[in-house]
Amino acid sequence: MYLFKLDRMPDLLSMVIFHELAREGVEALIIVSPEKPMISVGYFQDVFQEINLDYLKKTGLPLFRREVGGGTTYLDENQIFYQVIYSPQNRKLPQTIKQAYEVLSQPPLRAHERFGIKARFREVNDLVTEGGKKIGGEGGANIGQCLVFVGSMLMDFDYYTMSRVAKIPDEKWRDKVFKSLEENLTTMKRESGELPDRREVQDVLIEEFRKVLGPLEKAELAPDFLRRAKELERKMQSPDFLYGKRKKEVGSLKIKSGLNLIFGQHKAQGGLIRTIQEVNGPPEGGMIQDLSISGDFTLIPKESLKEGLEISILGSRREKYELLPRIAKFMDSRDKEMPGVTTEDILLALGLKE
Amino acid sequence: MEVGGYLLPDDLWYHKEHFWVKLDGDVATVGVTDFFQKLAGEISYLELPSEDDEYTADDVIGTVETGKWVGKIYCPISGTITEVNSEVLDNPAIVSLDPYGKGWLFKLKASDLSELEKLFKGESALKWQEEEIRKKAK
Repeated sequence: MYLFKLDRMPDLLSMVIFHELAREGVEALIIVSPEKPMISVGYFQDVFQEINLDYLKKTGLPLFRREVGGGTTYLDENQIFYQVIYSPQNRKLPQTIKQAYEVLSQPPLRAHERFGIKARFREVNDLVTEGGKKIGGEGGANIGQCLVFVGSMLMDFDYYTMSRVAKIPDEKWRDKVFKSLEENLTTMKRESGELPDRREVQDVLIEEFRKVLGPLEKAELAPDFLRRAKELERKMQSPDFLYGKRKKEVGSLKIKSGLNLIFGQHKAQGGLIRTIQEVNGPPEGGMIQDLSISGDFTLIPKESLKEGLEISILGSRREKYELLPRIAKFMDSRDKEMPGVTTEDILLALGLKE
Repeated sequence: MEVGGYLLPDDLWYHKEHFWVKLDGDVATVGVTDFFQKLAGEISYLELPSEDDEYTADDVIGTVETGKWVGKIYCPISGTITEVNSEVLDNPAIVSLDPYGKGWLFKLKASDLSELEKLFKGESALKWQEEEIRKKAK
């Protein structure tokens, strides 16, 4: 297996390399960081629904759609990315998704430990500290004829920029996104008190991967290969691939495994209703543990928004049949007026279909 | 029949990438096996082919995403897509709940039924599934 220790690469190219190597069937470990900040979205994400494209335009942050799943991620040089590419015929390496996570999560976990940070793998695809904070994310895919396993070590993280990137229906909720990220996501710098040396992190990570992957032969990217990778980059930057409509219909931001912020909005006859929900568990069926509703609808008295409607929803599973009677009870109460808004409208604003 | 805790109905043909085929005349219904859905985990998104698209056996014709993985959907035999299950596109969890029933993925009009000979059925399916469990699920 080859080792491509690339250090810093031009932003998009840093993430294109593993896609091209996998397409060409090259078994390799790649260690890389993007030279400049960039945004990466999962294969199935709806960019228009989930990304604050105005912010990206204003700041010049490039957007990339990876062929790996998951949600929106902010990438920069303070994150060390590892990508393992191997053939399914390679019997020395994991043959199933479950095994891949079990085996290939070990090198980054041991690397963290060598920097004094005890971490473990937590379902579905996070590396978390003893305190339960996410310190790395992982993912996998079949690309070309290869299996690809990817992840990152967060030396440091720009919480502010990440909190700006998600598209949310109401700007006043940006702080909520920022706080949730800061509370649930940590970094090597935060855990150990200082920014580790990137060369050292790379070397330790490679050393740990060598124990699992076996001998690694150092390799360079040939000019011909780079030409093909740039060609692939052009394809992956095509509007069809980058902006093509995917299936997601409700905006969301995964903070860590099992904790999602979900944004919804719906235009009712009585006005626009926007919601932000903090959901503990899966987006469908998880518990709504925090919620804010806003918009230009009329509700009298206005206190009944927080004390009535929001309370009726809090603590419920995000599931139509559990929410329906709770919301209906509030909507049917006679001590409030909410003209032009029905129970069904609230459900739609929560992102739950009719 | 059940093999090592995975359902494997006797009357279906099986493709090596864990897709099943059920034949009605020359129309094949295609879905994923119980083994596939259990190893993949909960399916969150599916990308399926469009009606009237033509494919050859073993072509990659779609994508499946679980919390852990983005994988490929293969065409088990050659033919033209006649119907796509819109219900699983709206609610991919159905695939995990009922992989051999409501969780079917697409139907195609087979162009060469002799290709079924390359798939596993009956005794050969049993052996193949046992080998896959030994390699991937132990």
